[in-house]
This record gives sequence, structure tokens and C-alpha cells, in this order.
Amino acid sequence: MTLEPYSEVLLFSSLAAATAVLGIAPEAFGRAPSRAAIGWANALACGLMIGVAYVLLTEGLSGALIAGGLGTLLGVGFVRASHAAAGTGELDVDRLESSGPGDGYKAILVDALHAADEGVAIGVAMAVSMPLGIAMAATLAVHNIPEAMVLSTVLTRRGLSVPRAAVVTVAVNASQVVLAVASFGVLGFVPGALPVVAGFAVGALMYRSLVELLPESYHQAGETSIAVVTLLAMGVVVFLAGVAP
Amino acid sequence: MNEVLLVFLYALFTAVATGFGAIPFAFVREISERVTAYSSAIAGGLMLGASFGLVAEGTVYGRGETLIGALLGVAFILVTQLLLREYDSQDLVFGAATGEGAKKMLLMVIVMTVHSFAEGVAVGVSFGGGVTLGAVITIAIALHNVPEGVAISAVLRPQGVSVARCAGWSVFSSLPQPLMAVPAFLFVETFRTALPYGLGFAAGAMVFMVLVELLPEAYEHGDRAQVATVATLSAVGMVLFQQWL
Repeated sequence: MTLEPYSEVLLFSSLAAATAVLGIAPEAFGRAPSRAAIGWANALACGLMIGVAYVLLTEGLSGALIAGGLGTLLGVGFVRASHAAAGTGELDVDRLESSGPGDGYKAILVDALHAADEGVAIGVAMAVSMPLGIAMAATLAVHNIPEAMVLSTVLTRRGLSVPRAAVVTVAVNASQVVLAVASFGVLGFVPGALPVVAGFAVGALMYRSLVELLPESYHQAGETSIAVVTLLAMGVVVFLAGVAP
Repeated sequence: MNEVLLVFLYALFTAVATGFGAIPFAFVREISERVTAYSSAIAGGLMLGASFGLVAEGTVYGRGETLIGALLGVAFILVTQLLLREYDSQDLVFGAATGEGAKKMLLMVIVMTVHSFAEGVAVGVSFGGGVTLGAVITIAIALHNVPEGVAISAVLRPQGVSVARCAGWSVFSSLPQPLMAVPAFLFVETFRTALPYGLGFAAGAMVFMVLVELLPEAYEHGDRAQVATVATLSAVGMVLFQQWL
């Protein structure tokens, strides 16, 4: 069975978004993850993101370096502006435990914005080649699980029931599906925009990993174990991307 | 001129070029906590970007081999850290610094020197195709070494090491390049087999150093958003610079 390219993008990005539901497992079984486990989950998510940035930089720029650099600046600028607008710049899971109910919404907002850049990354990778896109969707599917684990912990600690938290963790990834299809569509019409869009995804994903995931994880589990988990996750992405022809 | 001597001289020139990386630090007058933080972020970003280049080259020769090399690189740093821990930190002196600062500088110089062995092999193997392109490759490698000198100086200078000594240590860290380039040029086939392991080793060691020492240090002393911005732009800038070369 062969699918139209758009259906493939929709299918694989939806599957990636839906795997977030697995992140609720620790809460569903009544075993809230330890602080260190949340740290490792953040490090895993971070390493996968930096690995994705590596793949986009090596596969997506096709020599258009100025366009790629411009896209990176736009990506970093976009995340910084969205943090400034939403007031989520210094959000920390550690501090969430002792802060007001509004921070629950902020955590949802952070993840929804994060999913948007990831959607662009899937769309770009699919535009480069479908196997690379599928590898990218698989990477982000794995990435969504620890991300959802952290979010569901935050939400259930604020009194949300486990089924509701599960729905929210998947729903925040809706932007991932929409932007995967949208960026794939745009690149179908304007293939020349690929280096800018790839650069945008690189800038946004790397900046987000370094401003949100990594610094939090150091506090939660210590430098050495975080460095090992992050590096292994990066290695897995490099390996997976190499498997795609 | 004898071809072997030519390869050695070219590679020596690339090592000397690393020293130019200290020059920007001649303009930094006051060494505050912020300077330390952003220097670490610059060094971390440049090393992350350089590692992307090493991995991209290594995976051309062998994906699995590069990954194994990277894991060995991580193991190397962990063992070196353990050995350094054996010393009473007050006994360790590096330049004007003692204790933890001296340990970090020593680790940085060790990592960058060890990574130069792999780069030297890469130079020698690429010369193996004939020395006609030698001058072009040499200029490319020499330029590529300058930001690596920036990375080393960015760690050494905030600890009070003079600019001249920063340049000296930068050149020292690149000396394995001419030493390894010659045997690699003479025995291309043998070294070609080892190259992906070596490149992976260098990348693994550098990324681990970034994750376990440089970024935690940067987050501790600097603003999270600024550190993430500086590190992201340094990393992507390094990748674009290398692709341009």
C-alpha cells in the first residue's frame, strides 16, 4: 500500500504525537517518577533534540549556509520572543512544586510551543526524504514520552486525574502534527526555502534544549549521569538517521 | 621538497594557527563571573559544533565504528576525571590556579590535545590522495583550528592564565596534528581503518566535556537564556564555518 506524501506526513507525525500517552504510565501505575528519573527523562529528550539538530544541519542546508544561519537566528529569536510573551522564560519543574496553579498552564504552553518546532523538524526531514522523515518522526515519538512523563507529573501533582492528564499530554502535541503537514506543504511549493526552514528548526530546537531541558536536568540528577544520558540519546539519533537511505 | 617534510610543515602550520584563537581574549580586561559563564558557553558551543563535523566525517567511513569510538571517548574522560580526583585538589596547580579551576583547565587541555590526534590522522589520510590539494586542505584546517584555540582560551583566560600562555597551550593542544599526519600519510590504508574510531573518540570526548563541565559552569554563573543563546549560535556558527571550508 502506498500513501500520498501528505497522508504519510499526517500519519507519522500523528503517531509521534500519540506516543506521548505512554509518558503517563508511571502516574497510571501509581508510581510517581523520582526527581532523578525526571532529570534523566529531560536529558533523554534533550539529547534526542540535539541529535535532530545535527541531522538537520548535515542533511537540510544543502550548501545554502547564509540562509541556514539566518533561519537559525529566526529560530532562536522565535523561542526567545515566545518565552517573553508567555512569561515562561525561567520555568522550572523543581519550582513548579511550590508555585501557583497558573504554572500548570504555563507548563502546558511550554510543551505546546515546543511541539510546534518539532513539527517543523518533521516537515523539513520529510521534505529532504521520506525515510529521513520517518526516522525523524520515530525520534520525536521517543522524545515525546519523557516530555509527557514530566508534564503528566506536573499536572497530576496539581490535582488533575490521570485520564485527563493523558488527554492533555497528547493534545499539546497537536501543533506538532499541524506544523509537520504545513511545513511539508510549504516546502513542496517553495523548495528553495528548505535551508531557512531547516535552520529555523535547528535554532529553535537547540535553544529550547539548552534553555529548558538541560539546565533543569542538571539540578535533578547531577552532571555526570545527565551527560551520559544526553550523549547516548544523541548517538542513537545519529545512528538512526544514518540507517535512512 | 620531500613530500613527508611538506606534510609535516603544513600540519605544523595548522597547529600554530590554533594560537590565534587567544587573540580575542587580549581585549577582555575584566574577568568577572559573567565573562566566565559566557566564555564557557562559547567554548561549549564551538566544541559541540566541531564534534558535529567530526561525526559527519567519521560516519562516512563507518557509523558503528564512530559510535564505538564516541563511547570510548566518554570512558576516557570518566577515567581521567577519576584519576584527577585521586589528587588532593589543593595540590593541583595549573598556571595561577589551584584546585577545581586547575582540574578543569587540565581536563580541557587533555581533551583538546587528545582530539588533535584524530584530526592529525584525518589530515594525513586526506593528504594520502596526493599533495596537490595540500595547500587548500592546510588553509582549511588552519582556519578550523582558530575557533578551537578560542575554545581553549575561553576556559583558560578566566582562570587568570595570560593571553600569551593561552596561545601557547592552544598551539600545544594541536601539536599531535603534525605528529600524526605524517604516519597517517605514509600508511594511509592502515590509518583509514582506524579513522572512524578516532574521529568518534574525539567527538565523544569533546561533547562529554561540554556536557559535564562547560555548560554546568556556564549555567551556574550566567543567565540561562543568554547562555543558551550564546552556546546555540556558537555551535551552529562552527558547523556553518566548517561546511563553508
